[in-house]
Amino acid sequence: MTQLTQRSTWGRSRFGGGSAALIIGSAVIGLGLAVGAGALFAFLAYPHARILALSVFSAGLFPVLTAACWALAVGRSTLRSAPRDPEQSIESRWYDSAAQGAFHDLLVAAGLATAIFAVLNVEAPVSLVLGAVLLLTMLSFAVRYLWLKRAEG
Amino acid sequence: MPEYRRGRGLSQQALADLLGVSRQTVISIEKGRYDPSLPLAFRLAAVFECRIEDLFVADE
Repeated sequence: MTQLTQRSTWGRSRFGGGSAALIIGSAVIGLGLAVGAGALFAFLAYPHARILALSVFSAGLFPVLTAACWALAVGRSTLRSAPRDPEQSIESRWYDSAAQGAFHDLLVAAGLATAIFAVLNVEAPVSLVLGAVLLLTMLSFAVRYLWLKRAEG
Repeated sequence: MPEYRRGRGLSQQALADLLGVSRQTVISIEKGRYDPSLPLAFRLAAVFECRIEDLFVADE
């Protein structure tokens, strides 16, 4: 007997329940985590403006953490647009190529930046440098992926 | 490959669903911009009930 899986745009939770339960559950957990992380940041980094820092951090983290909770909880096979075998799809190759290129860009950029910082004796906050590295890597990946999509799509 | 697909009355999306890949993958294969993996080529040959060599020609 064939078991049919009901598919929908937002999918269903791998722990049971429909799309609405999955979305609401993800939002509730995302909100809890966002407020928790926001409170931690606010108390540690901005003790003089805790409420403002808590609000800003929580608002910024809420959509990201909600999406992360949804991605962790959703059953792939219940998503309408998810292919059964993503590794064989062309998007998987674009992802691999873009990730490989971004890694090489990261190596070159980190090497050059290290040399320049060392020679010129420049000092910069760690959070700023790591943020720049993260942004550069994400940008490199996005540009490469879009380029491949345009060329091979 | 498009002729085989049309001969079976399949849309690109229907073929993609049969193969378990994205529609974009089927589009790119048909345009000759994506060489499928061996398992995917075998699956295509099975769907169209032909040999892999009937669907793909090696670049000289």
